[in-house]
Amino acid sequence: MTVHPGADTWLLPDSLSVEGLLAALAAEFGLESAPEYGATVVYADSFDWRLYQQGCLLHSHGTCWTLYHGDSGEVTVQQGGPELQASCRARDFPPGGLRELLEPVLGIRCLLPLATVHLSGRQVRLLNKDDKTVARIVVESQQPAGSERPHRLVRLFGVRGYGRDQENVRRILAEAGVAEVASPLIGFTEGCRAMGRSPLDYSPKFALELDGGETAREAMARIYLTLLDTINRNIPGVLADYDPEFLHDLRVAVRRTRSGLSLVKQVLPGPVSDRFSRVFSRLGAFTGPTRDLDVYLLAQESCLGRLPPSLRPGLQEFFAGMARRRQIEQKKLVRALRAKKTRAALNAWQQTLKRRDRQPAPLAGMPVRDLAGRIVLKRFKRVVRDGHALDAATPDAEVHRLRIQCKKLRYAMEFFGSLYPRHELQTLVRHLKQLQDILGNFNDLSVQQEMLRLTLKTLPAGSRRTLDQAAALGGLLQSLFQEQQELRAHFTEAFAQFGDEETTALFHELFGKRQESA
Amino acid sequence: MSVIAVYNIKGGVGKTATSVNLAYFSAQHHGKTLLLDMDPQGSASFYFRIRPPKKFGAKKLLKGGRHIEENIKGTDYPGLDMLPADFSYRNIDLALDECRKSHKRLSKVLAPLQEEYDRIILDCPPNLTLLSENIFYAADCILAPVIPTTLSLLSLEQLFAFLDEIGQDPDKVVLFFSMVEKRKKMHAEMMRSLRERNRVLQTVIPYSADIERMGVYRQPVAAALPASAAAAAYESLWHEIRDLLAI
Repeated sequence: MTVHPGADTWLLPDSLSVEGLLAALAAEFGLESAPEYGATVVYADSFDWRLYQQGCLLHSHGTCWTLYHGDSGEVTVQQGGPELQASCRARDFPPGGLRELLEPVLGIRCLLPLATVHLSGRQVRLLNKDDKTVARIVVESQQPAGSERPHRLVRLFGVRGYGRDQENVRRILAEAGVAEVASPLIGFTEGCRAMGRSPLDYSPKFALELDGGETAREAMARIYLTLLDTINRNIPGVLADYDPEFLHDLRVAVRRTRSGLSLVKQVLPGPVSDRFSRVFSRLGAFTGPTRDLDVYLLAQESCLGRLPPSLRPGLQEFFAGMARRRQIEQKKLVRALRAKKTRAALNAWQQTLKRRDRQPAPLAGMPVRDLAGRIVLKRFKRVVRDGHALDAATPDAEVHRLRIQCKKLRYAMEFFGSLYPRHELQTLVRHLKQLQDILGNFNDLSVQQEMLRLTLKTLPAGSRRTLDQAAALGGLLQSLFQEQQELRAHFTEAFAQFGDEETTALFHELFGKRQESA
Repeated sequence: MSVIAVYNIKGGVGKTATSVNLAYFSAQHHGKTLLLDMDPQGSASFYFRIRPPKKFGAKKLLKGGRHIEENIKGTDYPGLDMLPADFSYRNIDLALDECRKSHKRLSKVLAPLQEEYDRIILDCPPNLTLLSENIFYAADCILAPVIPTTLSLLSLEQLFAFLDEIGQDPDKVVLFFSMVEKRKKMHAEMMRSLRERNRVLQTVIPYSADIERMGVYRQPVAAALPASAAAAAYESLWHEIRDLLAI
């Protein structure tokens, strides 16, 4: 966040009392003090800091929620809401301004309590001889829970057109010994730190700066350790089942690790690679069922929208059953994730990566820059080869295979992205993403139909309820199939955009050149 | 973004009280607002306790740009700034006459301010001059307070005739009744007949000692006396205008 031009913040030195400060200001200004405030507030944000990224802070005081601008401290909206226990979602808020602001930012992510801070202070208006406000001073004490001493802050808010008066205030403050500049969010950041967090310390995006001179072994170890960190950090959220994104992020990190192990051969010793391929394959497998059900449940609204109202009750019944199944799967997932075997395997992975290999693999010492271009280019060629065969009649399974190829290419580009010029890389990623989006949507539709067909097969015969469900599922199948057909028509053009000469040339230029020069 | 000019050819109809209170509510409802005091008497500036800036006047106003930006002052209320008036505005027509495209000058001067402010409210002097023409050209809405008397009716006819003369859309004009005294039968009758016109707001601002006393406490009536009937009337007026202009 940038510092708001109108607000300056300093620490109030221990030797100076608030009364002393105000007395010094009273020598040159009239003072108009607002009533004192004081409250213990709990700051909340999503695990990936979605509000903070928007420059917002949100805190709750009981059921009273305040969303404000982090820099200026200006309140955007203050409203009633749920009491913040372990977590809550945007939809838990009553309809109104706050919910409207939170929903698009948070999406399906929940709010988690961050820092607990006791805030107290008052605002004082500084008046000139016309009793006109020419500046505002806020003296505030911020005491994070568990800390011994409060941070005592003085903030100066200027009023436009009264610069000379503000200079006078600054001079008076300096003369009174107020000199140490502080962050107005010090209570918040210190409180987060007490909980082991710091703003923007988690992002689902893979971002790792590689050094081109690193050996392949060193670079891959850092890549895997970054992914392992993502896995470990998401485990508590998965166990507590706060929101579906924890599991999703965890699974993406697992998938990236598996891709790494299969794409980058001969950098880790063969037996190590094989062993951990199995570990992560197992992790992927036992986290799958819950995630699949999450995906269906997240599509509930849009599925209901596909059906005429008369068929909807049958579908609601179907989703209710699915939610029950998810609960069962989640329990199994928790058990598997907590199991000693899992914990031990992840620990072993970490130790293996940090340790020297007894028998280094053939390519372990190769500069990562040389390896990277080769891998990305190979994946690209594979996508282009399979992609050219794509047309409106391609069977679902082959479309799926191309989708996986694209994913591998994407992961390879992400792993080694920091070695290449940013702008060109982003262009390529953008083109790839467009193709991936179409293939991803297509695959979702395909998987959903498959699941519906399976459900239909196992539906018991007889009752009115199953008839309703069957009708709803039939209607849904029809709608999904139709959309899937429509997507097919776009295959050729989507791929044409990706596989054109320009993109191909750029791929070769970016990932081929370095290899030659090496 | 919208520019609202509070205007009437007649003086003493409550223009400044309206500008000051509307600007206050506009800022209260999350819209960064600039109040431009165009009246050389500087009453709006006085109400906000803002003194006329030194080295500022009609010519600087018409130059625009940094000459204006440097002289904008924050009021006591968050989100509400104002450009105070200067006594030299009384000669503004002479200065305007020297400008090229003299009837569009104000509009040009306001253009860059529209990026910073959600709403600009003009407190206009009571006359029909080249400045008025500028104001009508620049404004999205000409808000005219009307005391329901025959003389007011006359001044309204003059306003519409002038707009016709300079080729401005008469639909820019929005009327509301100001300084209304319930016990006066004539007020009620005039209001009834005037309501047959287009674009007459429902809200009526009563004649009120609380509004008259604004000069004593030097604050918007809603800031000084938030529970007063006058404050409620201005708030309701603001809501009606906001809905009408969809701002």
